[in-house]
Amino acid sequence: MKVYIKSLVFTGMLILVGGGLFLYSGVYPIGADTRHNSLTYWLLETLREHSVARAASDLSIPSDLNNSNRLLSGGADYNDMCVSCHLKPGMSESDFTLGLYPTPPNLSETAAEHGHDHASRADHDGALKRQFWIIKHGIKASGMPAWGPGHDDERIWSMVAFLQRLPELSAAQYQILSARDNSIDE
Amino acid sequence: MKIKTLTFAIALSTLAFTVSAQAHDPKEHMKNAEKPDCSAMKNMDHSKMDHNKMDMDDPVMQAMMKQCMKNMHHDENSADESHDDHQKDRNDHDPKHQH
Repeated sequence: MKVYIKSLVFTGMLILVGGGLFLYSGVYPIGADTRHNSLTYWLLETLREHSVARAASDLSIPSDLNNSNRLLSGGADYNDMCVSCHLKPGMSESDFTLGLYPTPPNLSETAAEHGHDHASRADHDGALKRQFWIIKHGIKASGMPAWGPGHDDERIWSMVAFLQRLPELSAAQYQILSARDNSIDE
Repeated sequence: MKIKTLTFAIALSTLAFTVSAQAHDPKEHMKNAEKPDCSAMKNMDHSKMDHNKMDMDDPVMQAMMKQCMKNMHHDENSADESHDDHQKDRNDHDPKHQH
């Protein structure tokens, strides 16, 4: 038993010292143009998805997400704040999509183009909550900012509402919905 | 006494910071704001633009109509006004209409 505890403590010390050496040595390639290995990517992705799912589970979805006013509010905000990373109809890449890592998802693509589909109602509601939570709180070290401090929940839900219709919009429809200046030229 | 003063100062500065941290106003984006290109609606599928055929229950269609209705009415009014002006000019120049 004593030997077992000793070896456990020794292993723990070895991990701590090794980790410290790795941390301070500077050998880790921190550049965004160096991809994670598949294990690191899986670990981070799993951590992110489970953390968001747990944190977003208690959110309640507004009943009026299909309201056209939400599309106008959300469209204008999406165009001002999201389009350079998450693109729009007729746009396939930007400096941000080329340079950020992980690459921001193209939200003008359909779920099928993303390679996943929200089959059940529970999945669909989960996706809405997930989008709201990510917009509001952001994701650490990913380039996704938290928009919550400057935007109230209603505006963020409107962005979520707009995201549901974005993949089916043409470039012309997108322009009309996302244009903020609706004053009339004299 | 010093603690009270310090507490008051901290509370005051916190309040000032909270008040200054207001929600991000959409008007801040108006400097570079685009206008809706409502002329593009005329080029869209005209069968969908027929009020009898288009799906007015679709929130996307409703939102586009809201965006463009103001401009469309303005265009119609401008057209009416220019038509009236044109008619007035014709009346002014047409001897048959001069009494």
